[in-house]
Amino acid sequence: MSGDLSSQFTEVVKNAYAAEQGLVICGHGSKGAWLPEIDLNNTQRLDVTRHSGIQAYQPEELVITARAGTALDEINRVLAAEDQMLACDPPRFQSVKADVMVGDNAGGTLGGVVATGLSGPGRPWSGAVRDAILGVELVNGKGEYLKFGGQVMKNVAGYDVSRLQAGAWGNLGVLASISIRVHPRWQEQVTLVFQMSAEQAQKKCLRLAQQNLPLQGTCWQGGVLYLRLAGHASGVAGAKLALGGETMQQTVDGSFWSDLRDHRVDFFQPKDDVQKIWRLVVPSAAPLPGAWLSSEDLLIEWGGGLRWLRHADEAAVKAHAKSVGGWCWAKGEQMPIDAVQGRYMNELKRAFDPKNIFRSAMSLQHAD
Amino acid sequence: MVLQQLQSLLPSECLITDGPGLRPYETDGLTVIREMPWVVVLPETESQVVAIMRICREQGVSVIARGAGTGLSGGARPHNDGVVLGLSKMNKILHIDVDNRVARVQPGVRNLAISQAAQPHGMYYAPDPSSQIACSIGGNVAENAGGVHCLKYGLTVHNVLGVRVLTSDGDVMEIGGALYDNPGLDMLALLCGSEGMLGIVTEVTVALLPEPEKKSVILAGFRQVTDAGNAVASIIGAGIIPAGMEMMDKLAVEAAEQFAHAGYPLDAAAILIIELDGAAAELDAVTHQVIGHLQACGAYQIDQADDAQTQARLWKGRKSAFPAVGRLSPDYICMDGTIPRHKLAQVLTQIDTLSKAYDLAVANVFHAADGNLHPLILFDANVPGQTDHAMAMGSEILRCCVAAGGTVTGEHGVGVEKLDTMCVQFTAEELDQFFRIKDAMDPSGILNPGKGIPTLTRCGELGGMHVHKGRLPFPELERF
Repeated sequence: MSGDLSSQFTEVVKNAYAAEQGLVICGHGSKGAWLPEIDLNNTQRLDVTRHSGIQAYQPEELVITARAGTALDEINRVLAAEDQMLACDPPRFQSVKADVMVGDNAGGTLGGVVATGLSGPGRPWSGAVRDAILGVELVNGKGEYLKFGGQVMKNVAGYDVSRLQAGAWGNLGVLASISIRVHPRWQEQVTLVFQMSAEQAQKKCLRLAQQNLPLQGTCWQGGVLYLRLAGHASGVAGAKLALGGETMQQTVDGSFWSDLRDHRVDFFQPKDDVQKIWRLVVPSAAPLPGAWLSSEDLLIEWGGGLRWLRHADEAAVKAHAKSVGGWCWAKGEQMPIDAVQGRYMNELKRAFDPKNIFRSAMSLQHAD
Repeated sequence: MVLQQLQSLLPSECLITDGPGLRPYETDGLTVIREMPWVVVLPETESQVVAIMRICREQGVSVIARGAGTGLSGGARPHNDGVVLGLSKMNKILHIDVDNRVARVQPGVRNLAISQAAQPHGMYYAPDPSSQIACSIGGNVAENAGGVHCLKYGLTVHNVLGVRVLTSDGDVMEIGGALYDNPGLDMLALLCGSEGMLGIVTEVTVALLPEPEKKSVILAGFRQVTDAGNAVASIIGAGIIPAGMEMMDKLAVEAAEQFAHAGYPLDAAAILIIELDGAAAELDAVTHQVIGHLQACGAYQIDQADDAQTQARLWKGRKSAFPAVGRLSPDYICMDGTIPRHKLAQVLTQIDTLSKAYDLAVANVFHAADGNLHPLILFDANVPGQTDHAMAMGSEILRCCVAAGGTVTGEHGVGVEKLDTMCVQFTAEELDQFFRIKDAMDPSGILNPGKGIPTLTRCGELGGMHVHKGRLPFPELERF
């Protein structure tokens, strides 16, 4: 079932605004496990998944417009048929937290991709979700249906409300329609494999990032560095020749990067002793954690800029992230928000949602 | 009072209060609009900026931030009772971080100076607005500046990773850095293109990219504008993302050729200039592919250059198109609409019709890759009424862009120039949302007032108010 429920959304929000009742915006719930607990008392669920369907897609314009409830799977399928893709390669998780989220337990909606702003393994080279957003239509906390941005690459009319929605976790409004930039699908993809330590891998990745290479992903884990080369066939072939290393079998190659992106690789599977896996965003050249972390408990992506740490000592991980100029976050935790920035973020939320109707589990309040 | 406080705060060379000294600040790149500022301050440090802001906030004086003054929409147009905050003296490159591939710079650093500083490391800063030799990175952030390489490399918002920003309330925030994402709301995206109305940027961290190994430039001449448009669609539809793809129409080609002797075909209805870059291994193959598409779409002349000298010649005509058109006519205004690429032929036909109706010639220069159209309207400001006539025609062109599914400004910003056309693009509710964002970031309202977002009263007076489904927005407001 797909259709246009935007007028229903404005009604629901208007009523909630009048009654000062909280709304919890729900998609497929595929990223529900990432959200902190939320008090659901006096809140109503607003399921957006039936507000779906592709509204406009002309491949040569490099943009697709779809209702926010459209499944990511459908977007990917339609793009692939035209040899295109979402360059930000957003993760496709499975729903595990049905009490907060409803839906078909599918792999996420386009609205969820934007609201969470999570990008895939190619982020340093192909951009983040926010980079790909060209326009949004949303219902703000007063129940007003608003359009910002559009379908064109360049647009500086008014404040950039569209990109502000990426990673806003539904704090500012109900996303109704999204125009997002697409990219030609890679002609060729090759994964090179090198045996080396984390330190050697970091040095290698920093060096390679300064060269003209069709790099579209790096992953180091358990003494092995994986490099994804992707793009034009002749460019990939040239880079493969120049870099050496072993070539991963074609059959496993594609699924390796999607398994990594969707956390299906072994590293992300639950372990009895330490459950928590921290996501650290740091400068690529930032020092590695050092001796206090077993290298088995470390996975590095984004050329060094994204690190996953399995560790029980929350304080130690947070201190480390801070000391190297980055930040960290784990499933079910609030993101750290700077005190001063948090104040302005809350003012911005009030600007969109004056009565705090949208009860996002991801708070904008100051937190360490 | 304010003046005395500023005098005791700043050394004399950082404060301008007299007539002749103020003259250079009476306008920015939108020279048809001028107003003498009350006072200009040129701080050298962030702490001076903080102190200036405190004085202005306490006294309720407006603050108009200004970079190099090259903006084309009047974003830095002064107020006769306001302070112009010129950031040109804060022009130090603080750090080129080779390993993290970022540069940390002060807002007054020129765009091109960043690439020059990164060049010894084989890197550069990608966004290259045509004014890059003069424009400042702070101004680039304020306007979300573009350039000819945006389709492949993005706008300023895609290439700025962090800012230090001072709010009118006196808070200094460090947003982002050498990081690929950040927690909470993306205030960095919000600040890009906010025209100095939400905060004052005192430091910028930009991404640096490795210089392309090799470039290829192709010039193609077409007998029909539609053929050139089809070639653009055909190349992009084939999965090729050129570094740059520019289109010029007949009048622009004639002007540029007379001026720059670039070897452009004078009998062409339109030309395309295409730049491809990347690793040498793939560039030859892609160049060959692109030439195939150009031939298939009816290009009757194709020149391709691998060497830097010929490439520079092919680009020279395009890069001098504006001054070249300036020689055809005493004055011109440069419009900045963006349209979906497949609407190009339709919009160019509409512009041609308007040109005849207004009896004003138009030369079209087009960033074809990203749909950003720059019609140059030729007129003579000495003929009474012709400036207004040209501005009115410009507004009509922008209405055509909006109707075609585009926008009133692709890269020049709204400033004061496009306030009226903003009423066409946005509803009253949307404009009101913009104002609430402004209030959230700048509660005292002293930052660049009167720019960027038109008031509802202004839109109402214009009669351009967007009425949705027959319902007049804000019926409680008076209209007169």
